[in-house]
Amino acid sequence: MQEVSDRNKNVPSQALNLEIEKANYFVSAARENWISVVSFIMFILAWELICRFEIIGPYQLVPPSQVVSLFIDKFSNPNPDGALLYQHAIASLSLALVGFVVAVIIGVPLGLFMGWYPGVNMAVRPLFDAIRPIPPIAWIPIAILWLGIGTTAKAFIIFLAAFVPCVINAYTGIRLTNPVLIRVAKIYGASNWETFLKIGIPSAIPMIFTGMKLSLNAAWTTLVAAELLAASMGLGYMIQLGRRLARPDIIIVGMLTIGFLGALMSWILTKIEARFASSRRLT
Amino acid sequence: MTLSKRGMAIIAPVVSIAIFILLWGLVSLNVSADFLPSPLAVLKEGIRLFHAKISGTSLIGHIGWSLSRVLIAFGLAIVLGLPIGLYMGWSRVFEKIVSPIFEVLRPIPPIAWIPIAILWLGVAEGSKIFICFVGAFVIMILNAYTGMRYVDPLLIDAAKSFGATRTQQFINVAIPACMPSIFAGVQNALSMSWMCVLAAEMVGARQGVGFIIIQGMDLNKPSMILVGMVIIGIVGSLLAAALRWIERLLCPWRRELV
Repeated sequence: MQEVSDRNKNVPSQALNLEIEKANYFVSAARENWISVVSFIMFILAWELICRFEIIGPYQLVPPSQVVSLFIDKFSNPNPDGALLYQHAIASLSLALVGFVVAVIIGVPLGLFMGWYPGVNMAVRPLFDAIRPIPPIAWIPIAILWLGIGTTAKAFIIFLAAFVPCVINAYTGIRLTNPVLIRVAKIYGASNWETFLKIGIPSAIPMIFTGMKLSLNAAWTTLVAAELLAASMGLGYMIQLGRRLARPDIIIVGMLTIGFLGALMSWILTKIEARFASSRRLT
Repeated sequence: MTLSKRGMAIIAPVVSIAIFILLWGLVSLNVSADFLPSPLAVLKEGIRLFHAKISGTSLIGHIGWSLSRVLIAFGLAIVLGLPIGLYMGWSRVFEKIVSPIFEVLRPIPPIAWIPIAILWLGVAEGSKIFICFVGAFVIMILNAYTGMRYVDPLLIDAAKSFGATRTQQFINVAIPACMPSIFAGVQNALSMSWMCVLAAEMVGARQGVGFIIIQGMDLNKPSMILVGMVIIGIVGSLLAAALRWIERLLCPWRRELV
């Protein structure tokens, strides 16, 4: 007992206060979590009742119970959209990831070179600035005309969508490299290339990850748009078919799956970032 | 040295764009015009479209349709999203009530709302405005909310010790403090609704710039698509520039940052 109070005496009071404040915040936040639970249950209940009493017709909205039963059913029943839910999901995911990975492989180095070498920046920047204001979705018609309605056109559009944030963030990241670090490297006799590899790139990594998160988001959004317009498989196709058949349950299951997978992918990227950033922090 | 550098900065973009157009011209000579029209053909098509009517509406008319949809949706998103987001950041109880529903809906891209919007509101104006609204609304809420959460607690404490009421703290201290975050949100929200209007018009419309490029695809006329894309890019940048100008008028203390 004596020991404990002695230790407390040594702790700087400010840090202690901060700890107490933090603990208080989390305790009271946890105490208020029941509000969230109640609010969510109320929302689901209101939705169910609105549909049960047919305030909104069955061709516009179905109750959540029916959404859940369709979700379970879609794991074993390919009708009416011709594929199981996970097959649609895999089709969409693989397409989005291919476009995303290619965009990262090309876009990040391009952005880094643009940021480090003024010559590259001068040559590429004007073209990039001219193309950037055109939303990736506006490329869909010309991509279909050039590449047909197959996978290539969709991968191309997703690539374009994911490419721009990768370049911009890699560029900004390396431009924000602390000049003191660059000068230190120069004083110790590092060549420009070595400085680029060992100082420039590591200090750009947080921004690169921000760019990757943005471009994953863009890729996923654009994928849905491309699948709405031209596809025979995938989650975007599934919700479009749900509209044609006037089946709101299919649309809602598709929308929730799209949202869930998008959130899951950015969560995974955040985890990777946390691991990567902790092992090589440079500021 | 500096002079020649400045000269390079002016010449380089011109040269790089010129080389690009030259390459485009060279490639277009060797492929059919149905695949890639020459830059000149695109320019001619642009001039032609300015005079001709595309399914009963002039090019300016189509731009007007798209813009009016975006601006209605954008206005609604600000009017509804801003108070919700700000209040979510201010009151923990309200945050707890709204956030579970918001967190489920937030990751769904606005474009994925298109099918259900058409089921709910038909293919007329309603569904298009709704989709642009969803896109802008989510961004407005998020930015207002984060802006409010990151308000310096010192500012609030200072207001408190000068005897400001809770409402005064909210309106006179907290809201002005999160203006920069709100404006960042407004910028993103506007470009998001510009993208959403294209998607909505491409899925089903008779007017608008999204309709023009889809019409170009259906008629197998790449020159029409390219004209549409250029117009989309120009209007998008003009919208962003207009917003930056408004921001400078409303937040003059941030002039040095813009």
